[in-house]
Amino acid sequence: MLEKHKSFEKVQKVSKPGEEKKYHVIGKPRPRHDAWAKVSGQTVYAGDHKVPGMLYAKVLRSEYAAAKLLSIDTRAAEKMKGVVAVMTAKDVPHNETVTRFGQTHSVGGFEGLYRVLADKKIRFKGEAVALVAAKTLAIAKAAIQKIKVAYEPLEGVFDPVEAMKPNAYLVGEDESNVICSYKIRKGDIEKGFTQADVIIENTYRVQMVDHAYMEPEAGVAWKDDEGVITIRASTQVIEHFRGIAAVLGVPHNKIRVITPMLGGGFGGKEDITVETYLALLVQITGKPVSLTFTREESILAHSKRHPYVMHYKTGATKDGKLVAMEAELISDAGGYVYLSPWVLLYSTVNAPGPYDITHVKVDTHTVLTNNTYTSANRGFGANQPCFAYESQLDELAKKLNMSPLEIRRKNYLHTGDALASGRVLEHAVETEQTAIKALEALGEPIKPRQPSERIGQGMASCMSSYGRMTFLHDTSRSFVSVELDGTVTVRCGVQDLGGGQASSLAQIAAEALGVPMEDVTVFHGDSALTPLAGTTTATRQLYMSGNATLKAAATVRRNLLEKAGRMLGMDPSYLDIKDRQVFIQPERKPWMVVENDSRECTISYGGDRGDIIISEVCGNNDPDTTIPLTEVIKAAAADGIELLCVAQFNAPARELLDFKTGQGQVFPDFTFGTIAMEVAVDIDTGDVDVLKMISCFDVGQTINPLSVEGQMEGGAVYGLGYGLCEEVILDKGITLTPSLAEYLIPTSKDVPQVETIMIQSGGGIGPFGAKGIGEPANVPPPPALANAVCDAIGTRVYDLPITPEKILKALKAI
Amino acid sequence: MENTEYLKPNDIKELLLIMTENKDRATVIAGGTNLVPEMRDGVKTPQVLVDVGDLQELVGIQLEKDSITIGAATTIAEIAKSSVIHEHFPILSKAAGELGNPLTRNRATIGGNLANASPCADTAPPLLALEAEIHITNAEGQVRTVPADKFFMDYKWTHLDKGDVLIRIVIPKPPVAAKGSHTKLGLRKAAAICVASVALMLEKDGDAVKRARIAFGSVAPKPIRAYRLEHYIEGKSVDKKLLSDCEPLLQEEISPIGDIRGSESYRRFATAAIFNRNLLQAWA
Amino acid sequence: MNTYNIELKVNGEWREAEVTATDTLLEVLRNNLEAVEVKNGCEQGDCGACTVILEGKPVNSCLVLAVQANGKEVTTVKGIGTQDSPHHLQTAFVEHGAIQCGYCTPGLIVSAKALLDENPDPTREEIREGICGNLCRCTGYTKIVEAIEDAAGKK
Repeated sequence: MLEKHKSFEKVQKVSKPGEEKKYHVIGKPRPRHDAWAKVSGQTVYAGDHKVPGMLYAKVLRSEYAAAKLLSIDTRAAEKMKGVVAVMTAKDVPHNETVTRFGQTHSVGGFEGLYRVLADKKIRFKGEAVALVAAKTLAIAKAAIQKIKVAYEPLEGVFDPVEAMKPNAYLVGEDESNVICSYKIRKGDIEKGFTQADVIIENTYRVQMVDHAYMEPEAGVAWKDDEGVITIRASTQVIEHFRGIAAVLGVPHNKIRVITPMLGGGFGGKEDITVETYLALLVQITGKPVSLTFTREESILAHSKRHPYVMHYKTGATKDGKLVAMEAELISDAGGYVYLSPWVLLYSTVNAPGPYDITHVKVDTHTVLTNNTYTSANRGFGANQPCFAYESQLDELAKKLNMSPLEIRRKNYLHTGDALASGRVLEHAVETEQTAIKALEALGEPIKPRQPSERIGQGMASCMSSYGRMTFLHDTSRSFVSVELDGTVTVRCGVQDLGGGQASSLAQIAAEALGVPMEDVTVFHGDSALTPLAGTTTATRQLYMSGNATLKAAATVRRNLLEKAGRMLGMDPSYLDIKDRQVFIQPERKPWMVVENDSRECTISYGGDRGDIIISEVCGNNDPDTTIPLTEVIKAAAADGIELLCVAQFNAPARELLDFKTGQGQVFPDFTFGTIAMEVAVDIDTGDVDVLKMISCFDVGQTINPLSVEGQMEGGAVYGLGYGLCEEVILDKGITLTPSLAEYLIPTSKDVPQVETIMIQSGGGIGPFGAKGIGEPANVPPPPALANAVCDAIGTRVYDLPITPEKILKALKAI
Repeated sequence: MENTEYLKPNDIKELLLIMTENKDRATVIAGGTNLVPEMRDGVKTPQVLVDVGDLQELVGIQLEKDSITIGAATTIAEIAKSSVIHEHFPILSKAAGELGNPLTRNRATIGGNLANASPCADTAPPLLALEAEIHITNAEGQVRTVPADKFFMDYKWTHLDKGDVLIRIVIPKPPVAAKGSHTKLGLRKAAAICVASVALMLEKDGDAVKRARIAFGSVAPKPIRAYRLEHYIEGKSVDKKLLSDCEPLLQEEISPIGDIRGSESYRRFATAAIFNRNLLQAWA
Repeated sequence: MNTYNIELKVNGEWREAEVTATDTLLEVLRNNLEAVEVKNGCEQGDCGACTVILEGKPVNSCLVLAVQANGKEVTTVKGIGTQDSPHHLQTAFVEHGAIQCGYCTPGLIVSAKALLDENPDPTREEIREGICGNLCRCTGYTKIVEAIEDAAGKK
């Protein structure tokens, strides 16, 4: 059981006092601007869209996980009545290109082979082999059956550790299955272990899981009257228009990608899914085409989370100080590279966790196999090491007779400390606070209710980055304008996965321009008509498009207040806007956007000014003077003053890390948090009941607290599924969990109400001091669960998911 | 699939006529919760679908003097919510309430659950323990009564022949003193395919078991009665020693497989655990 | 090809469609009757995105053959409330922030309404039981449960 931390009254100082927050809309709970359309069934998702005359597409997928592709005979399918096109690799203008992820900076080894349709060798079961477009879906399905493919099954390799060996079966056309490796070297690891009084060494395994968004991959595409191929698809990256154009061999500005509201993404729609197939079929048929994956197809053939084997050896002094950590992580990249190198780099930097460890040695590898390819999934490589390092800490604590909180408090990094990869954490680091608060809220455990019941509590802290890796030189753009009637328009390429990405921009623009949120309309996700905001990945949108929107809105605000100042004959820095009225507000400093030479900018939004004499400031004006915003707008428009701004926000750009030592900045900032859990374990059956789940994160500043809570609650359950019941089970590359009946995600009966505690340090680099929360929220649950179960039954499960069978095995019952 | 025919009889007479005319081609459908996904996947390709879901003669729960009759097309939801079933056969009530989820329960029928012949059929173990009788009509209208434990023949094989329709289940009311107990294990708390289940009915006579009926689901090619186990405990008192003596017998009765949901050893252990728990519960 | 002419009363309006014996109610609602508010999440009855009320009971429309629904009443989320005239469940969902990506929402509103119609004063456990056939991947269910509690008239 966890000890109360009464003896630790002296609490670390909050890193940044933060300016007193007097926001009009920011930080206030608001219904999302898309909520009403969604709840009344009005929202048109990608698969709901219909275009007259559209054809229906189906994908033929490989029968084997590893095979030579000998021949494909499509004649019978082509002859079928109602079939308009059949395509294989030879029909694709550029079937092999590289995967790109919306960045403009070329990043060499981080790009992998993007093969549209299978060619030469099959690399995973479910690989797309051919495409059909037909007048009805039924005809397309029947046509797929008529395509004859000749395979020569090959041996294949299905274990990344095996795949690393010198004579292993080669998945691709390279000389090795090892895609890349990274390392961290800090200090002297041998010396470190000699200093340790206690050493814990374990191997942890985590399984393959699916994103299981409720909306399977879908899209509709057509050629518009100017010959631009337009794809309306459920995607996290409209910037894929470049990659699609490369495949089709057309100019970039002849491909347009629009994304409507997504029915969930979680990283699974970060890679291209349906878009290229649609574009090719539109190009070849000249007709509109629709494609929706079935759920089985989605589980079979879209990217998955990397399974990892992680070997950790951690040493601590008898006082609990971590002195040495050696870790080797091997990830299963599946059949194609996709984002594996990137995920691996995240795991490498995250491997030690948010702790100060004197000597660190980390080696990581990502390896091709003939399993389903793995790529981005919420957390992007931070989750797997967290399971290992948080389990290790609890084992150390047990051996040292310390509480889990005690040992962590001895080692947590704070602002100004450096990660093992050399990066100094210059922004808010409130991990310790989150742990204390989460445990406080958890309280004392209940007593067992049955003889076979054991109650346990567990915690896990995490670090998880937000913002893309800094060597990608990330940028984001947004357009803000005020209309003549005082309403506000935002145009931004932001892709909204359901996390409120677009709604946040409305709230930010509303704050900047002093209007209610309902006055803001956001047009989003159109590569032709909205400034590109960058991918909705890496928990970067609030940080990037939020800042870009803020920058644009702040510019329009400045223009409006300058005009208002002239109208009133006073200094505009003493004016503010709220509820559509411009008014005199001398007590707070004005908003400022400061941009430096490298186009990195900082935005500040007021703070107490200090003593001023109101009458001096107001001039001839009554201090209660207000002007309707619309009046200012009309006057400004008449003067030809710009009431619009398209702004680009540049994240700090850095160089690639040093691959020899693993030293470098890599990430702009991190979010830190803790999840605490209470479970009841039935030792007769191994069943686990999750009784309580508390999530505490430093979110910097909430834009919309309802959204932030929603991410924390949803993330906790998404992570809990990973820990408790989800697994894509493959047998020699063949999926044994083809549908949601076998692939189990938590239902409403499997989880408790999640309690959320938000710390708002103001110390983030997002707008208004916000930190990202989407991914961090889901990282701690699996180790928290493992720790809670261990607390309950006295013995540990080292691999996920923690099923009843594994618990019984741990208890040596079976 | 485009050529599949759909017929919906208005009464039993019409049903029998349709079955006679289409004996080899007819597939009976009620709730469709198993059949519709199988049709979509191409696992089943019915030529003629005969819809009995709305047939009044096949729907409903009738309380008789010594038994209760459940129409085959009665939904699982109706059974789970029925106070009559809850009062007389709480183990059936419980099992019905744990089948699938509230949405599938509104369509799934008890007849369909049995006819689908899965070894995991949720209503099967309680019906076996309650010694229910399955009434089947052939296409000619001849009705035969098949005890539940003869209904399940082997893996995915029941007493139903081509042209047959399962029309009702008759469950004798157990003696007032009889107690039942049921547990279903799954890998999550709702909509979980059964990993192992036990249903039992126990009658005491003083300090000994007078009569025991024990059934298991998901641990054999079909839902089973554990006759040897029943025979062994009859006449004895239920205590720790008895449970321990039962263990090897139980393991002989069941033959679970290992699959994605669990290994054989896990199923064996878990089945014994819930059997012990349920037996003690019914004994108390 | 065998086709059947069926009639369905969808959200109070009689609609006609020509269907095959194996077309599901989900397919016909979405493809023939433009009711795309009914979502396709799995077509196997595992996710609940396709939930509609059929003759007063919430069901997976992907498991009902369209021909079986002939002559019957079907209610989708649009028959429960609109933006201009919302059901108090919808208002509660919006106000509590119980909607994120929104894909499960139409089916959930239908299930929740059916739950409250049958049990106007449910406990939290009963709410969780009542909606356990509707999977949500975004919210973790916490705000959904709170919204339904609120709509049922408790806090």
